[in-house]
Amino acid sequence: MSQLGATPVTAPGWTAKPKNGMAIVDCDVHHNFRNPTQLLPYLSKFYQEHLLDQGLHLGGYPNIPIRSNRVDLKGRLKMEERPEDKDTGGDPRDFNFTLEFLQTEHLDRWHVDVALLTGPPPFYGYSGLPDPDWAAALCRAFNDWTIAHWLERDARVFNAILVSPSDPPQAVEEINRLAARKDTVAVMVPMGTSRPFGNRFYHPIWAACEEHGLPVVSHIGGGGGATRTTPTPVGHPTYYMETRMSRPYVASTHATSLICEGVFEKFPNLKFALIEAQQLWAVSVMWHLDTDWKALRDQTPWVKRLPSEYFREHIRIGSQPMHEPERPEQMYQMLDMLHADETLIFCSDFPHFDWNDPVTVFPKLSDDLHHRIFAQNALDILRMP
Amino acid sequence: MARVVVGKVSEIPPGERKIIVPFRGKAGVGVFNVAGTFYAVRNICPHKRGPLCTGELSGRFAADAPPSTEGARLSVDGLGEVLRCPWHQWTFDIATGQCRVDATLRVATYPVKIDGDDVVVEYDG
Repeated sequence: MSQLGATPVTAPGWTAKPKNGMAIVDCDVHHNFRNPTQLLPYLSKFYQEHLLDQGLHLGGYPNIPIRSNRVDLKGRLKMEERPEDKDTGGDPRDFNFTLEFLQTEHLDRWHVDVALLTGPPPFYGYSGLPDPDWAAALCRAFNDWTIAHWLERDARVFNAILVSPSDPPQAVEEINRLAARKDTVAVMVPMGTSRPFGNRFYHPIWAACEEHGLPVVSHIGGGGGATRTTPTPVGHPTYYMETRMSRPYVASTHATSLICEGVFEKFPNLKFALIEAQQLWAVSVMWHLDTDWKALRDQTPWVKRLPSEYFREHIRIGSQPMHEPERPEQMYQMLDMLHADETLIFCSDFPHFDWNDPVTVFPKLSDDLHHRIFAQNALDILRMP
Repeated sequence: MARVVVGKVSEIPPGERKIIVPFRGKAGVGVFNVAGTFYAVRNICPHKRGPLCTGELSGRFAADAPPSTEGARLSVDGLGEVLRCPWHQWTFDIATGQCRVDATLRVATYPVKIDGDDVVVEYDG
């Protein structure tokens, strides 16, 4: 891989170079439609009319800036590369592109070997829809749109099928419907939910994932409401930056719930990735939960091992947005504390403004650690054909 | 082998304890009557050196599966056989001194003999 463009600088003194010939598995590549009418062919007659009559009803990103996608990419996007959406207008924050654009701008450019499609975060609002049947219909339609437009045309592109956590039986039905496809390698559930993921309400979904050998890849987002930001334990923040800083609480609540409710005792082969929610929270959860388990374990005796053991065996953390510490050595300290050789999976978040490229995201890593973070940790959980 | 008479049997009925200070140092030792069997446990928690033997008695809580699993059995047995440190709630088996939340930790225990009406704790040294 050659150096592309200007030498990127992430923090003073960093001299990261590309690792030639080493695999890259990117667990967070966003694809998007520009207009919801593109989903019409994949909806039942009833829900076609529902969409045309009432719209998507999605919410959850009321204050995301207009430059939420990379501006350089938008400049290079030719209209003929998005033939589906000429004249559709729409929200300029939406950004869609074709598989060919993804190939040129991301897969070829950065030598990405495996790309996991995760869908558009604004669409994750389906997890907070009041109507669980509409949410399930949207997931089915989006998955079928993805199959028609993205899959089977590039051996590097795989799918995390979207399912809605608000009605587990329909989520299970969708998993069963698409599990046989070779390009289905994970199940995407947004982190914005009404109950933490360990709750038994969701167990049928986790059972289906385990049965098919599919990991859950849960991306931040969803939930909330049309005009409100994702709630925190102390209420709704005002600005987008604040919303972003609430992500570690969301992820740590889900991770802690999965462990304390005994999900990994019940589903010992289930793997669960939490992506785009930062990383350091995982250190805090592992350390503090171990301490608390020693004092409080009589309340949850089905948690038979140290919580950090379940964490390291079952939970994976997305690498984006990666912290940029004051001093480079602090990055190594964090990777060590995180057990990054087991827990961290590379995510670019292409094409968003806070993406991480695979070259400058870390300072120089040993070949072994580089391979674990950029490829093997993900390959160990994704159901690769 | 040193022998220390720590009290009379009638002083420590089942479910009760007597803490003797000093005993091999300032922390002392707790002598527990667990359903008629006597045990002596050093009164220092190996975690953070709290006064272990002043803690509450407990039992062994267990579950063969998470309670969301159909037919899961939740149980507690051995009530009175487990000691919970008052500082941080870590639990220890009184009979063995084994810490129940950290396999690498054990609190010192000593043999207890009943000699007539006397409760006698023995130790090397």
